[in-house]
Amino acid sequence: MDVKCEDVRHLASLSDFSLSDQETESLKKDLQGIIKYISQLDELDTKDVEPTYQVFEMENVWRDDEILPQEANREALLALTKEEENHQIKVPKVL
Amino acid sequence: MKYVPTIGIECHVQLSTKTKLFSEVDNDARGKEPNSCVSPVDYALPGMLPRLNGEAIKFAIRAGRAMHCEINAFSRFDRKHYFYPDSPKGYQITQFYQPIIGPGFVELPSGTKIRIEHAHLEGDAGKLTHFANYSLVDLNRVDTPLIEIVSMPDIHSPKDAHDYCKELWRLMCYAEVTYGDLFNGNMRFDVNISLAPEGAKELGTRAEIKNLNSFRSVERAAEYEIKRQTRILNAGEKVVQETRGWNDASGETTGQRSKEEAKDYRYMPEPDLPPINLSQEFIDEESAKLPLMPSDYRENFGDVLKPDILEILLDYPNLMIKLNQLVAREGNSGGLSEVTTENEGASPVTTGRSDTSQKGLSSRVALIANLFTSVLLAEEKSAEYLNDLPSSKDLNELAEMNEKKELSSTATKEVFLKLFDPQMKGRGVKNIAKELGLVQENDLGALQKIVEIVLAKPETQKAQDDFRNGQEKVIGFLVGQVMKESHGKANPAAVQEILRKLLTK
Repeated sequence: MDVKCEDVRHLASLSDFSLSDQETESLKKDLQGIIKYISQLDELDTKDVEPTYQVFEMENVWRDDEILPQEANREALLALTKEEENHQIKVPKVL
Repeated sequence: MKYVPTIGIECHVQLSTKTKLFSEVDNDARGKEPNSCVSPVDYALPGMLPRLNGEAIKFAIRAGRAMHCEINAFSRFDRKHYFYPDSPKGYQITQFYQPIIGPGFVELPSGTKIRIEHAHLEGDAGKLTHFANYSLVDLNRVDTPLIEIVSMPDIHSPKDAHDYCKELWRLMCYAEVTYGDLFNGNMRFDVNISLAPEGAKELGTRAEIKNLNSFRSVERAAEYEIKRQTRILNAGEKVVQETRGWNDASGETTGQRSKEEAKDYRYMPEPDLPPINLSQEFIDEESAKLPLMPSDYRENFGDVLKPDILEILLDYPNLMIKLNQLVAREGNSGGLSEVTTENEGASPVTTGRSDTSQKGLSSRVALIANLFTSVLLAEEKSAEYLNDLPSSKDLNELAEMNEKKELSSTATKEVFLKLFDPQMKGRGVKNIAKELGLVQENDLGALQKIVEIVLAKPETQKAQDDFRNGQEKVIGFLVGQVMKESHGKANPAAVQEILRKLLTK
């Protein structure tokens, strides 16, 4: 599969990244390499192989519906954000 | 040209589990400060592992069974990627490929069946508040468990869209999986609508209206869209496939985004959550916990209550549960209609001690149902009252006193309301009625004495003469005088009977 600059820009826009032309070009090469590497799997016939959803073969890992005290409180978590106002996280207007 | 509208609805239901779907944090953020119900998992800090809430799975089974849905033994989670500040993870954990709830149906009160395509578990997003040039993020709602219910395109009128949403709301409330508070967004509806010429095999281009939070707005938005799309099609133009917003004040939908890109969520299996694989035993056990549903109540009370009264009552699960307790008190767990049918043609209503007969019970249930709809729901404090209903013993006693004519209908209402009064309730119906002096005099001997006193009064002589001369109407005046003499405690029907007897002697 051939990765185009257009594909890289589309992916970047989905994550709201702005990329310079140089970065786009460099990422294109990286992605191309990754996809080429993974594509080796295409040589195998996986028609009768169940997809792997996770590798530990665990099932039904649940917890009880009980509220537990949290080590990190609101202030500690808000302190991780760049800007806050009225105990809320302040972000640039998106829509 | 005549067009047929086709409506599909996706409904998000917030589940009322104690904790969130993936973290051990309080899931009930009502009235709590922003960002006070959050954990590092909700913040998506590096290395945080989501831990699945087992209770949410049980809730999903009940919700599914309430819609006659198959429950899929095997289900699992996927990541749905999108970039928006309401989701710190950068993706939503949902069940895209293998949902827990399979096909089923919802039956509307009209009898129309709307098929359910599937329903799946997923985490809710945070709440954004937009200001002029910035937004504030509250993560309390992040990963509140949701089930998203996807209907088949079986709805063809705004009325049915309304009824479907309302019935879903009832089902989820009766299944006890949500608080069902629409005002606070516990249930939200995405409605997609298209028009096609009558008889056409293919559906038209659809518009989707997102995030409606009332049945009325669903109905109005559908009405508006049908008109708008009819206008476009009649002008020979094409409907654009787009997401539109609903403005409740103006009653219009408007296009939301100019660039309508193809959705690209890059779904992938959620590697942090092992799949769910339920035994049939587990599914059956949870399914058996489903309480009585609106359809059960319609069946049980359909013969006793008028359909319009029943449909009003069905909006208040507490009232239906109470009516059911009233019936269960008499050991008729099989429901009213069954027994009523069995008793058909049997002895007519009896009075006194033996009136535990089915017909007596039916009329008592009807009386209490009537008090619920015409008195309780009309009260300003009804919302408060609904959470603290009188015992079925009290209600039964009240109905019995009314039945035995110990309480007039006005007095019955008065005593009924006192059963919600913190000062009065707990004293028992009989005591309340006595204290308020509302118990009617039914003792015929005592009543006759009062009637005789009244008839001996000079001011009633003319009326007595008039009555004897054929003026029927003055009996009302005389009954009134006796009622006054008895301080309102006489049973008017009995008084009238005695009066007629004495005056025509």
